Amino acid sequence: MSDPEALFNAHRHRLFKYFCRAIGHAEAARDLTQDVFVRVTRGAIPAAPDGQVAAWLFRIARNLALDYHRDRRRRPEPVLLADGGSREASQDTSVAVNEALASLDDLDRDVFLMREVAGLGYDAIASACGLTPDAVRSRIHRTRLQLREKLSASIEKQRAASMRRSDTSR
Amino acid sequence: MSERDSHDVISAFLDDEPFDPRELSDALSDPAGRALLIDLIALRHIVQPIDVMRESAHPAGVWRRSIRPLMAAAAIVFALAGGYLLGQRRTASSEIAAPAPTRVVQGPPAWQSVPEGSRQ
Repeated sequence: MSDPEALFNAHRHRLFKYFCRAIGHAEAARDLTQDVFVRVTRGAIPAAPDGQVAAWLFRIARNLALDYHRDRRRRPEPVLLADGGSREASQDTSVAVNEALASLDDLDRDVFLMREVAGLGYDAIASACGLTPDAVRSRIHRTRLQLREKLSASIEKQRAASMRRSDTSR
Repeated sequence: MSERDSHDVISAFLDDEPFDPRELSDALSDPAGRALLIDLIALRHIVQPIDVMRESAHPAGVWRRSIRPLMAAAAIVFALAGGYLLGQRRTASSEIAAPAPTRVVQGPPAWQSVPEGSRQ
């Protein structure tokens, strides 16, 4: 796929999802998704199978996300304190997920998000992050166990909600 | 099989990556393995970004909402243009048509006033 527009249409959704969780702000995620394709139009798109092109795009995305985090550490933005009473339960879960992800090692978080949110295979993740597929597998596994522990309350709520849904559908 | 191995194979199964079916069967015969599988599915669900889920749940709705004002404006313009043209056409046709008679004069038929000899 050598057409930037076709590449944009094929990958923008998964890149946006990745940035949403890697950055934690939907607006910044939109901007960074655009930035990936601005960079793509500056150079030549590699003539490679789809999986490798996705890995190449996510390598660019990961660098942009790391730059964003580095920039924010230098110039910390004021954090808006949301009113706990008026926040929806799903927003509470989302905030808890963002906090749990922020507490992870950068590489572990990216590997996990590329798999779980963007849906990349182990080979593509390995290529995007400069790891072996075995290392990707063990990092994803380790990160899942960490998040399972950190998000146990949210996971429990989700399980209960799924059970309620299945009861009402009977 | 260690706990670590059973976790690994469950992860690989979840990710649609190659795995040994016998290892998976062993892992899922353990209640802890089954609990892990359920938790990891729930984890997968809760890490999906809300904004994206809302966006993808109602893409047609978003499109319809954004185009609705445009359609309303187009309907108003169409109605105004249609009314104007109809008015124009009525005015033009009323200028060409003969006015309605205000008085009707009844006269004898023309052939009755022709002299007898000149009739054929």
